Amino acid sequence: MTEPTSKKQEISRRDFLKISGVTGATAALLGNMHEVFAKTQNTLAASGEGSYFQASPESIIYGECLQCNTQCTVKGKIQDGVLVKVDGNPYSPNNMMTPLAYDTPLKESALVDGKLCPKGQAMVQTQYDPYRIVKVLKRTGKRGENKWQVIPFDQAINEIVNGGKLFADAGEDRVVPGFKDVLATKDAKVISGLSADAAAVTGGKMKLDEFKTKHAAELDLLIDPEHPDLGVRNNQFVFQAGRIEPGRNNFAQRFTLNSFGSKNWYDHTTICEQSHHIGYTYATAQYSGGKWATGPNHMKPDTINSEFVIFWGTSPFEANFGPTIMSEAVTKAVVEHGLKYAVVDPRMSKTAAKGWWVPVQQGGDLPLALALIRWIFENQRYDTKFLSSANKAAALAAGEKSWTNATWLVKLDDKGHAGTFLHGSDLKLVEKKDETSADGKTVTTTWVTPDGVVFKIDPFVALTAGSPVLVDPADDKNSVTGDLLVKTAVQGINVESSLQLLLDEASAQSMEDWAKLAGVDLSTITRLADEYTSHGKKAGVEFYRGAVQHTNGYYTAQALVALNILIGNIDWKGGLSKGGGGWNAIGNADKPFDLGADHPGKLGAFGIKVTREGDTYQKTTLFTDYPAKRPFYPYTSNVYQEIIPAAYAQYPYPVKILWLHMGTPGLAAPAGTEQIKMLQDTDKFPLFIADDIVIAETSMYADYLFPDLTFVERWAFTSAPPPEPIKNIRVRQPMTAPVPEIVKVDGEEMPISMEAIMIAIGKALNLPGIGKGGFDKHGDLNRPEDYYLRGVANIAFGDKKDAADAVKDADDAEMEIFRKARAHLPKAVFDEQKWVAIVGESLWRKVVYVLNRGGRFDSPANSYSGAFQAHPFASLMNIFVEPIGSGINSITGKPFSGVPHYEPAQNSTGVPVNNKDYPFSVVTYKEVVGCQTRTISNYWTQGGTGIVPTNHVLINPVDAKPLGLKDGDVVKLTSSTNPNGTFDLGNGHVETVKGQVKMTQTARPGSVMVSFHFGHWAYGARDVVINGQTVKGDPRRNVGVCSNPVLLLDEGTKTTCLTDPIGGSASFYDSKVKLVKL
Amino acid sequence: MTKEASLLDKYASEAFAGLVSPVLDDLNISLAPDDDLTKEDALVRMTAELKRALEKPASERRWVMVIDLRKCVGCTSCTVACIAENKLPPGVVYRPVTIEEIGTYPNVSMKFLPRPCFQCDNPPCTEVCPVTATYKNEEGIVVIDYDKCIGCRSCLNACPYGARTFDYGMTYTQATPDGFDFILGQSKADDYELMANSEYGENRVRKGHVSPVGNARKCHFCLHRIKDGMLPACTSTCIGRATYFGDANDSTSMVAELINKPNAIRLKEELGTEPRVYYIV
Repeated sequence: MTEPTSKKQEISRRDFLKISGVTGATAALLGNMHEVFAKTQNTLAASGEGSYFQASPESIIYGECLQCNTQCTVKGKIQDGVLVKVDGNPYSPNNMMTPLAYDTPLKESALVDGKLCPKGQAMVQTQYDPYRIVKVLKRTGKRGENKWQVIPFDQAINEIVNGGKLFADAGEDRVVPGFKDVLATKDAKVISGLSADAAAVTGGKMKLDEFKTKHAAELDLLIDPEHPDLGVRNNQFVFQAGRIEPGRNNFAQRFTLNSFGSKNWYDHTTICEQSHHIGYTYATAQYSGGKWATGPNHMKPDTINSEFVIFWGTSPFEANFGPTIMSEAVTKAVVEHGLKYAVVDPRMSKTAAKGWWVPVQQGGDLPLALALIRWIFENQRYDTKFLSSANKAAALAAGEKSWTNATWLVKLDDKGHAGTFLHGSDLKLVEKKDETSADGKTVTTTWVTPDGVVFKIDPFVALTAGSPVLVDPADDKNSVTGDLLVKTAVQGINVESSLQLLLDEASAQSMEDWAKLAGVDLSTITRLADEYTSHGKKAGVEFYRGAVQHTNGYYTAQALVALNILIGNIDWKGGLSKGGGGWNAIGNADKPFDLGADHPGKLGAFGIKVTREGDTYQKTTLFTDYPAKRPFYPYTSNVYQEIIPAAYAQYPYPVKILWLHMGTPGLAAPAGTEQIKMLQDTDKFPLFIADDIVIAETSMYADYLFPDLTFVERWAFTSAPPPEPIKNIRVRQPMTAPVPEIVKVDGEEMPISMEAIMIAIGKALNLPGIGKGGFDKHGDLNRPEDYYLRGVANIAFGDKKDAADAVKDADDAEMEIFRKARAHLPKAVFDEQKWVAIVGESLWRKVVYVLNRGGRFDSPANSYSGAFQAHPFASLMNIFVEPIGSGINSITGKPFSGVPHYEPAQNSTGVPVNNKDYPFSVVTYKEVVGCQTRTISNYWTQGGTGIVPTNHVLINPVDAKPLGLKDGDVVKLTSSTNPNGTFDLGNGHVETVKGQVKMTQTARPGSVMVSFHFGHWAYGARDVVINGQTVKGDPRRNVGVCSNPVLLLDEGTKTTCLTDPIGGSASFYDSKVKLVKL
Repeated sequence: MTKEASLLDKYASEAFAGLVSPVLDDLNISLAPDDDLTKEDALVRMTAELKRALEKPASERRWVMVIDLRKCVGCTSCTVACIAENKLPPGVVYRPVTIEEIGTYPNVSMKFLPRPCFQCDNPPCTEVCPVTATYKNEEGIVVIDYDKCIGCRSCLNACPYGARTFDYGMTYTQATPDGFDFILGQSKADDYELMANSEYGENRVRKGHVSPVGNARKCHFCLHRIKDGMLPACTSTCIGRATYFGDANDSTSMVAELINKPNAIRLKEELGTEPRVYYIV
């Protein structure tokens, strides 16, 4: 940090009156007041005498928040080198309903501060947290004992790379494997050869013996030669990220997958809202080449132009994606356009307080959604015209942008299960033809009708007025409109239309029974359905984690997407939007830099991930019979809660090195405290390293803890979040000097960070794609800027090959502002000569233009086109999801459903969750000031002194009174898998899950509500010993309660929480507890 | 008002008038292209109106704040923006937001009420000050002369709206660890709260018992921002776009439009305090 000056330089009004030689306020003084102020304010004004420093662009650096994953664009105000205030970026639609034009001069935009939520503003206190770690810590006691010593960065890298008896001083005689030991091979050809043949083995094209013979010399590179599909031993390095974001995750994937060659790269999405994403990504999947390719994972109602929106299990005023963007769209639409909205949630959120609150019962989301669907069918309130369009041509003819598979026929097997679509070939309406090109190199397959009509795919089939018609979804010439509700046999094959299958599932229960399961009055359901379907296309359902962090989360997501599809709101202004999109930062062959493909010696990791995500059990060599030893997750990714338990179970294989990056599964995952026990096992986790900004709840168990940069101090680039119809991409850049120590990595000075560690490991092991010649065409990868600045250059260059889409050059005045605004940054962070060299002279001024605005933002005038979104999805939406309908649960052996199917909360075994004797559903939620675990350091807003100083166990008085509970009573929470309501932190520390009762009418009876953000046992809440000196914890951080430790464990795995077998989401909302007064 | 106060008042407003940033002279916020959907952002409009108001003599401006309670989402962005802007310590809050639960399940709701200083035209707080440290300046803002304030807290009791708090000299980072080279530590962490703050266009550092420590403190509509053409921090940051600010004497201003409606009310009107903060209900 630079030494602040004005802190030491006290100038009160009295002082400056003295300075000016005047002892009182006299008329004579008034004349030169301007001058007096100008002089005394020099420390305030970075330039421009007489102006408040915040009004000067030289005091401003535009960056990006990461207090939550919305990643709002921000305007950082720097006073004498210190970030003192953070506002919204006025160029960005994130912070202004109508942002300033992109070419607004910097001195004008300096005067306009955009909006920003309180959590974002409190980033100042995340940045300047007294508990931020500065140097590398190595444990000297047992794991989690919190006894550390500081070691030099180089020594730490040397030890983790080379391994050895690293903890002899701590009494451990074991030899710890280093990265060099886990790196079985860095030969890309060997890996691709093994990968291809392992696929041949699992695909039945090669016998295992043949494989072993062919690769006899390489078998020792594999984790298990009997199971070549597990991949090479490089996979025994696991990178597990809590907080990571686009840009940085590209960098980390480059290292993990393609420089080190491990398949085990993860972020944390399943403890957020993954089943929401999986719901969308399959609803938007497109069919081509005989396969389904998943589509966008996030769409949202265009609230500002909507007439009725249902916010389901989410509160846009407090969380979602996120309050800064979404709040004004709601409030403005409500007050100025008459928007009405409902909020489905057992908890009355702040959003619900201002709308129509529908207090659903915990776990009642899917029944409520299916009840609405049933009502819509029974009352024929679905959009027939939209749903009848079976392909693109029909959509165009109907005046739509998108179309659906509602009319496509699905085959029923002999048990009546709808698994796969009916194709033209099933009815012998087409014949497959392979044509080999003249040079014999390529084979083109087509399907041809007897009339000579040629299809590029084996066409799907719909009925039109009862007769089969062939469907190519992408065909924009030959319109097919199909019959909607079909249940028949065609040529002896039992079929139903997709829409009929949805109707079947919605009809599985009577309206009364659905209402009972939902815990919502039938009359309310009817009113809600009626209202929702009374606004044409100007309505929508928005949902987030509350609706989907259930074991039936994917089906719930699918049902809620279906509610949007049924009213045909896709792509309409006021309907469902996929957002404005952005520019490409990673690059491709047509851009100045190709940060993905340009990777000489790219290893291309392969193999089954330790979480078994993305792989189908039946297609692996591990398949014998049901159940699998632990569940496979073929449809999802980043199954965060399962990484450590899987490694602990050593299934499908043991892990040697775990790198936990900015993550805290022990605190943030349901029943995550179980993982704390596992991490203390040095046999199962021989080397455990972490990088973090503080010593946190899980990183405190690491062997080596590296300081990381905050999002205030570093780089990334993130595309626009979906609520924004305006095309944009944001850039995160260093706003302050770094807190972590500046070290030399192979001669390059840089602060310690995730990137610095990766570069240092890469250089120590001479890994491909890092260091000198790290890029084939673009030079070296010696420092973070070599990667990130080139991404910025790609953004500045635009997406047109001829640079027709490039931004302007920064003029001389802007260049000067750029330099002055960064005068406080050390050379290890900002070095203009280096930066110019990285992107090249020709792009440099364009890069500065983008950095001076914190990203690239299109004109809002390009958001809509007539009655439609200007950036429409304009593709197929799926009611029936074939990849899932044709899949089989790896534990139960039962098929999944292609349409939303109601099942109650259940264990991985298919056995319903046991909440017997536990009366209260736990509803966790986020306050607007908090994120899950990283805002306790924000004393303005949390941390015992802030606006929300602590949390409570919130309960309705009708539940509290019979238990004799009153405000302030301390209760313990217990559950069927944590009947003692405790958790063991190891080393003799057993804690109780307890909190203070507070009664509230905002809780649905039968539930207790506990916010996240509190109940910390580390993160500055606990004493630690470093170099023999005790660093005292701050009691303000050791407040409140976290209910995660009592959320239910899955009875199948016994080590992981309840999990959605399709979406992979960790269940936060299927657990019930008892309250025990202490 | 005493002669001295009136003089100081004059000095303050003249000083601010003279301090209009040179940047403002050629302020010409370029608007995004306007079509049916992309109207001028409220912040842009109000910033332009602010510039216009600053071109007038101070005595001809009438600063008012309007808070549309229908749009308030109870987020406390304004509270935090104010704390950061004015480097307020624990216990000093210029703009709290009261959150009140009303009703009985299932007929339940919440009321959100942001409460800045109402800059009353008949302020009960100023007349109780024994040393005339607090007074209404020419632009109608109730200000505090920290150097004169003796910290008696009479004004805290006199304000019917509870808009004043007292600076006990605390910091948010106090009692956090310090003196280690392996963690950041308090003395390197606390710059953001101890650096000079800009209230009243001054350059004060809170330290020991030096003012404003030991003084009454209150909202001043961010006079130091206004003088440079910037809206008050609470107004800029409002994520529900519920807060508006401007010159009510400018009949074309947004605030003038808003306050002359039947749904505009003022708190405790019956006290005759004539607040300059209006709520839209």
